[in-house]
Amino acid sequence: MPQDAFILEKDHLVPLLRRLGRDRRLVAPVRNGYGDTLYAPVTDLEEDGLDLEARPQNSLKGFFFPQRERLFSYTVAPDTGGGHRYAFETHLPEERPTVYFGVRSCDLFGVLYCDLVFLKGRRRDAYYQRRRAGAVFATLACHHPFAGCFCNATRTGPSLELGFDLQLFDLGDRFYVETGKPGGAEIVARWPAFFQPAGEPDRQAQFQAALEARGLFERKIHVDLAVGLLAGREPEGVVRRLSERCQDCGGCAFVCPTCTCFTITDQPLDEHHGERVRTWDACTFSGFTRMAGDANPVDGATERVRRRFLHKLRHDVARHGRPSCVGCGRCLGICFGGVDMARFVEMVCSFGNHHATDEDAR
Amino acid sequence: MTPRSNATATYTANPYLPLPARIREVRPENPRVKTFVLEPADAGAEAAFSFEPGQFVMVSVPHQGEAPISISSPPGRGSGLTLTVRRAGRLTGAMHTLGPGDTVGIRGPYGRPFPMAELEGRDLLFVAGGIGLAPLRSALLACLAARERYGALTVLYGCRTPSDICFSRELDGWNAGEGLRCRVTVDRGDAAWQGRVGLVTTLFDEVDLRPERTSALVCGPEVMIRVVLDRLEEMGLAPETIFTTLERHMKCGIGLCGHCHHDGRLVCTDGPVFSKAELASG
Repeated sequence: MPQDAFILEKDHLVPLLRRLGRDRRLVAPVRNGYGDTLYAPVTDLEEDGLDLEARPQNSLKGFFFPQRERLFSYTVAPDTGGGHRYAFETHLPEERPTVYFGVRSCDLFGVLYCDLVFLKGRRRDAYYQRRRAGAVFATLACHHPFAGCFCNATRTGPSLELGFDLQLFDLGDRFYVETGKPGGAEIVARWPAFFQPAGEPDRQAQFQAALEARGLFERKIHVDLAVGLLAGREPEGVVRRLSERCQDCGGCAFVCPTCTCFTITDQPLDEHHGERVRTWDACTFSGFTRMAGDANPVDGATERVRRRFLHKLRHDVARHGRPSCVGCGRCLGICFGGVDMARFVEMVCSFGNHHATDEDAR
Repeated sequence: MTPRSNATATYTANPYLPLPARIREVRPENPRVKTFVLEPADAGAEAAFSFEPGQFVMVSVPHQGEAPISISSPPGRGSGLTLTVRRAGRLTGAMHTLGPGDTVGIRGPYGRPFPMAELEGRDLLFVAGGIGLAPLRSALLACLAARERYGALTVLYGCRTPSDICFSRELDGWNAGEGLRCRVTVDRGDAAWQGRVGLVTTLFDEVDLRPERTSALVCGPEVMIRVVLDRLEEMGLAPETIFTTLERHMKCGIGLCGHCHHDGRLVCTDGPVFSKAELASG
């Protein structure tokens, strides 16, 4: 039997969110004026159109690791000895307790993966850590996969076994709510009027919904098979074909919930002041590994595409025990060259299974 | 991967924040290379800053950002922290305009050092190309400061031209020491050059090694490293006893930014020092 389970009537959702948002920031999928659904801070539940039906175009990555952020500021001033002084002033972000509501399973997995990089390595990232502290996640299980999703193959959805504070299943007129980590039980305990204990028919309806969702994936993407094949061989033909189609735009890395590479640059404000800024970077950019004097140990599109896919499906498996793809399908949507994870996996598998020739990869 | 310890680092709560360090002295090595002698601008920080040969620091130059630079001085107090820098790009170009009294920022030391304790009792062969002598100088001077702990020391140094030679003031001294040999070669000589001409591998013919008791420390351009590592193994050195230090583009130095990812390893935290055995198992 799962954790404690409750029923939240759909009519009660907005009043509950209004209360959650009183003393904490609330982030949820919101449809904007252009018709795009994005995870965004919700300030006014009536004005901001909450949209729990569409797949948000962004992941949660940017809330903990912004696309651009100031790390610190510096001053450069002449000093009495004839040289110059160079001083640094730190700017850590404020901690803001936040409820992330309506988060898809794959996107919570994306955050848990980013935790491995930013919090579980040899050094912690103080900026990420500040933003991550006090985050509560109320996830929404997918009852129907979106086009291009393959979280069933990466075992990151369509619903979760762990990691969430609350997990909601849409049962039509009501939500079935499971509590996971302590933050979820606290919410239920603090606003008990919204949560009725789930009965046996509710449990059966939830079980049915979860089972149906698993059966609705149309494409079978064999991620595990590809991981196994890549452990022992170089996918040379596949990488060469795909690299011909890569436009070096970095879109795949930017929409990816688990791509965390960044660059750091100085932004001079005037002669004596400036800021050090960190921004997202992508390993498919031609300058990503370029050093002073134009030396580049990872040169050429083929090398870069190889590096991207092997990082996610070979090196992260070695380092963290699982690939760093959560099957969200966003790279399928963003890449007009079709250099996406699903295609890479399918091409690797087709080579592995049929000893196919180079021509098959076209 | 063998967990060799990282030396103590001056860790602050914010790992991206540099410490100001004042330039005490600038020594020109050749037309494109200068050695900068640094001391922390805050006197209290000096005691906390210790490093081991092979480690690097992230150096901030005003308005230019940061770059990883390997430490060329031996560990221990008194001699100052020295960085030997070739003018190669925007940041190093700006650094070359700085002089005594100016301030740079430093973070670190970072990275896995040469396993100096593991090398004790062995003959050591240092093979360097160009500016690659800088991190090896740190290790060599550490050996000379504890001479009794190491066997015969040999330095083989190759440069493109005579004007690319670094630490030329010290090379003669290294040749005169007991149990210490130093051989230099250049790819192309000039009118004044009387020494050897040829790639650094040609110097291997001049030295008489005892492979089973020799460890090698190698640093230079990537193509040179590849050739030298293979050559050393052919000469009978075990891959576990051949160490090299790799150079990669880095933004954070602490295992987060992803730039120095190299076949599943991060050069900043898993290296920059790797044994040939470790590189082969990539």
